[in-house]
Amino acid sequence: MIFPIALGLLFPQTVLLQTNPTKGAAVASGKVTKIDINGLKPLLKPNGKPLLINFWATWCDPCRDEFPDLVSIDKAYRGKIDFLTVSLDDIGDIDSEVPKFLRQMKAEMPAFLLSTPDESAAISLVSKDWAGNLPLTILFGEDGRVAYQRNGKIRYFTLTAELDKLLAKPDGIK
Amino acid sequence: MKRAVFLFTVFFAFALAANAQGLAIGAAMENFSLPDLDGQTQTLSGLTGKNGAVVVFLSAQCPVVKSYNERINQIAAEYAAKGITFIGINSNATEDLAWVKSDAAKVGYKFPLLIDKGNVLADKLAANATPEVFFVDSKGVLLYHGAIDNDRSGRKITEQYLRTAFDSTLSGKPIERKTAQAFGCTIKRVGQ
Repeated sequence: MIFPIALGLLFPQTVLLQTNPTKGAAVASGKVTKIDINGLKPLLKPNGKPLLINFWATWCDPCRDEFPDLVSIDKAYRGKIDFLTVSLDDIGDIDSEVPKFLRQMKAEMPAFLLSTPDESAAISLVSKDWAGNLPLTILFGEDGRVAYQRNGKIRYFTLTAELDKLLAKPDGIK
Repeated sequence: MKRAVFLFTVFFAFALAANAQGLAIGAAMENFSLPDLDGQTQTLSGLTGKNGAVVVFLSAQCPVVKSYNERINQIAAEYAAKGITFIGINSNATEDLAWVKSDAAKVGYKFPLLIDKGNVLADKLAANATPEVFFVDSKGVLLYHGAIDNDRSGRKITEQYLRTAFDSTLSGKPIERKTAQAFGCTIKRVGQ
């Protein structure tokens, strides 16, 4: 227990990850974890619950506009889904602009910042239908199938309807 | 008669599907006509240089475009002398003509900027981000599509996708990397 805390103090921009950091663990508001493409891969796989991922950046106006809705969704579905955000801001903003915005939004979803020299590979990894434009929100069912994908501001009621559909499914039936 | 209707329907469906998918590498871009900032109609063929053209989707608002503007101007100036021209396109429904003109004047684009009202061209090419480039040869055939380079900030560029595509083409060599994507702003389409 002491070792992870000590490392966390030495490297404040990183949060030490458990085996799967997205297991419904709400992180302290504003904490942002740096990931590369290898860190992104496991985040894209659901683990026992529907998985909602939002790709955003502080420089993206529609991303900022929709964030309050995302925070509402997080509160409404906490514990029933895994929800995380991935910022595409410059790595230089990981301890400044990005956490500042997340704190303003009172966001508690696990927050990551993707830093990679090969954005094209990262984009292809996330979705073959994505050109890299932000925002992007994807909802995966427990089986990994895409239940909702939106390139642009989310449609709140469309997304929540899809979430409700996924959560209403009887156990074991996809 | 029924067979003719069936065949037409199938053909139309394929045409729609082709449009929905954008422009493939090796396919010819339509010779589009769009107004410039002074309202004068310009065409792809009229603006293409002897060694090709780059159609680049831009935005007056997008911070990613702002970080690329200087580089775009530098590349445009450098390669204009080598017969490759740039054609800027603004398809954003949220950016009116006055704003686009004012921004263009501040940036000092070294090439024409055309207004794609109703995002018609963006839809035909399936362009989604700004900036996003389509490099075509002198006949309008698409040679490279996607990102200009691999770093938004410009400080850590390790892959000059567009310049490399230009240099390969100018030296008669095939372009090794024909597509590359990067994170950018969404084109603000009508109704979205």
